Formats: sequence, C-alpha cells, structure tokens
Amino acid sequence: MTANKVTPLKAAPEPQPEIEASVSEGAAPRPILQVEGVNKVYSNGTVALKGAGLAVKQGEFVSLLGPSGCGKSTLLRIMAGLGEVTTGTVKWWEQDYDVVGGKGRKLAFVFQNATLMPWARVRKNVRLPLDLEHKGGSADAEKKVDDALEMVGLKGFDESFPRELSGGMQMRASIARAMVTEPNLLLMDEPFGALDEMTRNKLNDDVLKLRKENGWTIVFVTHSVYEAVYLSSRVVVMAARPGRIVDDIKIDEPYPRSPDFRMSTEFAGYCRQVSQALERASAMGENKEESH
Amino acid sequence: MSTPLIRNERFVQIAAPLVVGVLVLLLWQVSVMAFDVPKYLVPSPVDIVQSLVNDFSSLFNALLMTLKVTFLAFVIAVVLGVAASLLFVQSKWIEVSLFPYAVLLQVTPVVAIAPLIIIWVNDTTWALTICAVIVAIFPIISNTTLGLRSVDPNLLSMFRMYRTSRWQELVRLRIPGALPYFFGGLRISSGLALIGAVVAEFVAGTGGSKAGLAYMILQSGYNLQIPKMFAALILITLTGILLFAAMVWMSDRALRNWHESALKVEH
Repeated sequence: MTANKVTPLKAAPEPQPEIEASVSEGAAPRPILQVEGVNKVYSNGTVALKGAGLAVKQGEFVSLLGPSGCGKSTLLRIMAGLGEVTTGTVKWWEQDYDVVGGKGRKLAFVFQNATLMPWARVRKNVRLPLDLEHKGGSADAEKKVDDALEMVGLKGFDESFPRELSGGMQMRASIARAMVTEPNLLLMDEPFGALDEMTRNKLNDDVLKLRKENGWTIVFVTHSVYEAVYLSSRVVVMAARPGRIVDDIKIDEPYPRSPDFRMSTEFAGYCRQVSQALERASAMGENKEESH
Repeated sequence: MSTPLIRNERFVQIAAPLVVGVLVLLLWQVSVMAFDVPKYLVPSPVDIVQSLVNDFSSLFNALLMTLKVTFLAFVIAVVLGVAASLLFVQSKWIEVSLFPYAVLLQVTPVVAIAPLIIIWVNDTTWALTICAVIVAIFPIISNTTLGLRSVDPNLLSMFRMYRTSRWQELVRLRIPGALPYFFGGLRISSGLALIGAVVAEFVAGTGGSKAGLAYMILQSGYNLQIPKMFAALILITLTGILLFAAMVWMSDRALRNWHESALKVEH
C-alpha cells in the first residue's frame, strides 16, 4: 500500500478571508476544500473510496447521497482530517493541509448522534471546543455560548444535562457546539437520521436559517433524497463497491427556501432527478441487495 | 397495617426482609430453647446479644484493628489501582506488558502468599494490609482501565480534531467517562478489602493488642465461646454491609445527574 499521505503543511497558513459572500451568490467563489483523486483502502483490503474528487466552494451546501457502504462518511471524515487517505490529496484554501484544527481551518463536525458528554451540562458541552482551544472561561466565550444556544433555540436549557433533553434538542445542542467555533466549513454526518420527520423538517429549516445568518459552507451526508434536495445547492451522488462519486446535480433553486418549496413541482422534479441518479448509483454497486 | 403502606414500594423493600429476619431469629430462639441445645454448640440470639454486650470492649478493640487494616488496604488499593489504570491507558504496550502481572495477583490465593508476606514484613499491621491490598486491587485496576478505554469514539474524534493534548483528553473525556466503571470497582473492592484483612488475620493468627476480629473468632473457637464467635462474625458482616452501603451512596451521589445506574426512572 503506497503511503502517499496528505503532506503536512509547510508554512503557516495565510490568514484566510472572512466569508463575506452571501450564501450561494457572488462571482466564482474560492474553493474552501478540494479533494483530489482520493483512494482509501483499509488494511483488510476493502476499497472504501476510489478516485474521489470534489471541490467545495465557499457558500455552497453540498449533500453527499448514496447507498450504504458507498464511503460518504469515510469521505466526510477524510475532509475533517479524521481519516488518512491511502493516495490522493486534500487541500484547504488551495493549500495542502495535514489535520484540521490549525489556524485558518475553522472546521466543525456534527456527528450522526449528538455526541454530547453525558456528565456535563449543556453549557459546558457547547463550550467544549473553546475550552479545548483554551479560549473557554472568558466573557467572550460565554457570550458565544449564549448566542449559539439562543440561535438553536436552547436558551434556558444551558444548565440541563443532555439526558434531560429530547433527541431533537440534543442535536440542537450539538449544532450549537459546532457554532461556537465560528466555522467556515461545517461537516454534518447524517445528523438528523435518527429523528422523526417533523423534528427533522424543523431542524432542516433551522440549519438553512443558521447557514444564512452565519455564512456557513456545509457538506452534509444524508440517506434522504428529500432532505438533500431541500437543503442543498449541489447533490453529489455516490456509488458503492468501490465507493466513488458518480453524479453531481445542481439544485438551482434560490435561498432562502421555505417549506413551500417542499410542495412545489420544482422540488418534485429535483427529487425525481436525484432518485434516478441514486437508482443508477445503486445498480453500479456489485451487491445490489444492500443498496437503498 | 393499612393498605396504602403495603403498596408503598419503599416500605415493602425495608419491611419484607425485616419481617423475614425477625421470624428466623424467633424460630432460632424457640428451637434452641425447645430442644435445649447447649450454648457451646448453637447459641441462641439472646446469648449472642449478651456476649456482644459483655465482651464489648475486647470485641470493639478487635473491630477497630480489622477496620484499620481494611481501610488502609482499601485506600492503598484505590490509589495504586487508579495509578496503574492511568498508566495502562497511556500506551497499549504498557498495558500488554504489565496486565498479566495484575491478573497474577488476582488468581493467586492470598492464603497461599500470606505466610510469605508475614515473614517478609515485620510489622503485623502492614503485613496484613499488604495481603488485603493484593485481594482488593484487581477490580479497581480492571474496571477503571475498562472505563478509561470505553470512550465514545465520536467524542474522541472531536477531541482529536482540535488536536488536544493527552492530558486534556484524559481529564476532560476519559476520567469523567470512567467514573461509573470506577465506582463499580469500588463496590467490589471494598468488600474484598475486608475479606482480605480477615483472611490475612486468620493466617497470621495475631493475638495480643493487635488482635482483629478474625483472631477473636479463632480464639473463641478454641475456648468454645461460641456466642462470642457469633458476635465477632456479626460485626464482620455489619462492617461489610456498611462499607458496601457507603460505596453505593458515594456512587449515587457522584453519578445521579447523568448515569443510567443512578437515575431514578419514573414510569
């Protein structure tokens, strides 16, 4: 197995521009993140990703959609610097990068489950990234936590323990935790997969609202065609065995999007288009019975 | 007894075993009296209570001695056990190299090594304490290590994303997450410290001012003072129960806000 890992960053990253572009508009936004020719082979020989290439531009909302085992989550974790690539490169602001968390790479990750520390109150959970960066405890940090809690609708729950919150509220706390770092790229790994449809729709709207207010660029892994179409400016469809990108569909519908969009013929049209792409992707996988 | 009290779950939890206990004691007392069983074979509950009162000062001194060894051993087992777990979790190599020796401590019967320790260590109290530590330490090491390793992988990923130091990872993530396992270890270990102390006393056969409850039992046996033997036995059992209850209380206090084991679920 060749070990052409992502090369470490040699020079300190240049201070990157603040996101001034309003979401999805603006002339030729810069790519925040570029994944080029990424192969990922596990030690047991499983090819998780083959030749994956994807550029995420500033202000985009990209959904990764595909059957189980197509490497969506693997790709997302590689973007987050949580997994090493076997071959290929990952670039941040067009520079090589090693791991996230360094200066200039303000990145947040929202996991499939809320991933809160059960022993800590909501406030402490939300403040965690700041504490880890030794920025916790300051008045500024507390204000960021307050703002984040208010934005996700958890004001007044800061002294609760995670177990006292519903699944949807726990996920909101998880999103608030991502917010306090003021990320310029937010990676979300099927964050609402375990929630009921009502909560899920509500949280989808909330994510769109927060994205508009904070200027987030988002990469979002999902199983749901409807969710992908409703949220995204681009839907990237992946196929399994080996995991690869097979389609890239633009959802050319302006933001802000309201629940009315879900009822529109355009929405139905996009859903049909994406579903067909997903069908084709599933058929490409060798083991069809596992595809969704 | 009024009906609502019978339906009170907490009342039933306390009253039911109490009633059984009183009935057994009554049956015991009546049988001993009815069949005229001699005191040196089976003493009646009244005889045992009498012995508890009459021999209070010697029994109390013995109890203090046993308690001293038990507590010393328990505290040392906790400190050393936690230190070993923290060491193990630093590197798989350290754990792989040292864990078999922790198992060795666990599987070697303390009765078999106590004579050696008693020969090697001059001071009886310390000799007994070392024996009790050997018995009590393993659940602490085993449980705490398991707890320190059982971290939510996503939380760990998050910590790694922020390139946190091992120290931060330990203090903010691993130690709080390991608490339920640690307290589980404490519950087992507290009882084992008492068992270790008593077994070691039996082997050492220490008399005089350093006589513990085990020695009391041995000596009473030789002198056919069976009521005193029972009295010493009761004190050992009570100590064990109190220790266990204290551990449960501590664990509930520490975990009551978040851990399933300590939550009061309402149906």
